[in-house]
Amino acid sequence: MEENKEITPQATVEVIEFGPLRISGNFTLKDLRRDSEVSPGEVWLCRCGKSQTKPYCDESHKK
Amino acid sequence: MEKENKKFTGGRRYSNDEITVFWKPTACVHASYCYRELLEVFDPGRRPWIDMNGSTTDKIIEIVNMCPTEALTWKWNEDAKNDSVDKDQTNHVKFRRPELSNTQALPEPVPPVTAKVMIDGPIVIKGSFTLCYDGITKEVKESLVSLCRCGASDHPPFCDGRHRKVGFID
Repeated sequence: MEENKEITPQATVEVIEFGPLRISGNFTLKDLRRDSEVSPGEVWLCRCGKSQTKPYCDESHKK
Repeated sequence: MEKENKKFTGGRRYSNDEITVFWKPTACVHASYCYRELLEVFDPGRRPWIDMNGSTTDKIIEIVNMCPTEALTWKWNEDAKNDSVDKDQTNHVKFRRPELSNTQALPEPVPPVTAKVMIDGPIVIKGSFTLCYDGITKEVKESLVSLCRCGASDHPPFCDGRHRKVGFID
């Protein structure tokens, strides 16, 4: 095993201006209200509070 | 016991007969576990906001251990007892009481990234990851960020606790 290897970030969290939050890579999404745990690889989450499919974005921010 | 409410550097402390809870407001990411789980003790709308007579010591410890940051920590008043904090409270020991942590307790070399969607609150992302916002790219190393989901934060994309004031329900 290689030593002193820099930790490569496994995931990227991208805040889309006037849009949702995109998380991609190796991560686990835990939703406490809906009691779910998934590792989707990529996800678009609501940041405006208006989505009808929370925590996911449904493009309500455009309305 | 008389209600105690003393300041210390960076925060306040609150005690009952057995434990002292330390509150560091600047470390809070508004994950909201405390008031959602135990409003009798942790009520942001009350002053002082922590009432140590509102519940049992065990329950208060349980909720303080849920706090993902150093905003809430606790100690036994009887100092000797702090040396034997149970392993099932490793969250507390590992993240917020480094002086008690076992140096060999470092888990896997690349800790997993978790994104927690808090009930009626922010999304708390923990681990090592790349964060991009407002044209800025940051490498977050084994730390956490709390991002707004309600759309009302005065400091987007970060949570500033406004979800509670605007009554955000998810």
